[in-house]
Amino acid sequence: MLDWEALVERQLNGLALEPAERAEVIAELAAHLREGCEELRRQGMTEEEAVRRTLSQVEDWQNLCQKIESAKTKENIMTNRVKQFWLPSLLTLLLSMGLLALIQVFGPNPWLVARKSGWSLVAPVAVVYLPWLLSLPLIGAMGAYLSNRGEGSQRAVFGSIVFPVLPYLVFFVVALPLMAIFNDQLAHNIMFGALFVGLFAWVLAPGASLLAGGLLAQFFLSRRQDSRRIAGS
Amino acid sequence: MIGTGIKRGTAELAVLSVLEHGPLHGYEMARRIEQQTKGALRFTLAALYPMLYRMEQRGWIRGAWEISRSGRRKRCYRLTAAGKKKLSPLRKEWSELFSALRRLTKVSHA
Repeated sequence: MLDWEALVERQLNGLALEPAERAEVIAELAAHLREGCEELRRQGMTEEEAVRRTLSQVEDWQNLCQKIESAKTKENIMTNRVKQFWLPSLLTLLLSMGLLALIQVFGPNPWLVARKSGWSLVAPVAVVYLPWLLSLPLIGAMGAYLSNRGEGSQRAVFGSIVFPVLPYLVFFVVALPLMAIFNDQLAHNIMFGALFVGLFAWVLAPGASLLAGGLLAQFFLSRRQDSRRIAGS
Repeated sequence: MIGTGIKRGTAELAVLSVLEHGPLHGYEMARRIEQQTKGALRFTLAALYPMLYRMEQRGWIRGAWEISRSGRRKRCYRLTAAGKKKLSPLRKEWSELFSALRRLTKVSHA
């Protein structure tokens, strides 16, 4: 009986893929040819004729080699993960950070307020923070749109929407508690208060804001796809 | 002569459509397409596998090795969420193209 794997390996000698990937391709093609040949034998063909007919499926092995290499490697340049997750996520992160920096630079400066104890400088945190928070739904919607355009899964779309708050989440959930543990000079009562305020102001509120816009966009995008699907069926 | 773009488009639609009903390995997929189109669409090994690998790279299908009832290892392909998403607009595009061609040929016959 013909050793199909050895035959395919011989014919695809120049196949330039990683050894494991190459072995998989050879095994898969050999299984296909073996099954085709067995089917022809069941139909009553002689082994010689069945092998000849089966092998006639590939006119040019060299050309097949090139086609497989091209299919397996060319489209790796921009992988799906980049299109569906990393590109939308990094864009939303860049936009949210950039916007916050712009509001800080071009937004209102600290002003003088008269108090009983005298004049004091007041930094308008709310004036900087609130416009940023209100702009986040748009950024979340953009993340959902881009990930959707890249045909991302629900998980990729969700990740792209909330990605801008992840650095803050890591800071408040990992870095700050670690600092509290290893630094004896920090006042722990103040630290925990700051942790919860920070977690709310920089993770929960912006996250909710991003999700509000992102999930709304995702809802409309999936409705549009559904209506296309209905029209197409 | 049918251009390669059109050929590739119909072939991709055929693969996505048969996989919509469940996972299949390459040989079974080719057989199913041939049977369902009454022999109008035939895939040789040389045409089928480069296309399957390309579609896998795009994330439309996912292949995994499985052991068949006969105890042989076979690589079965499944439709992914992205593949399911791709199928409906692709169907719509092709249906529009065929309707347009039908209209065109009717006009030219009239």
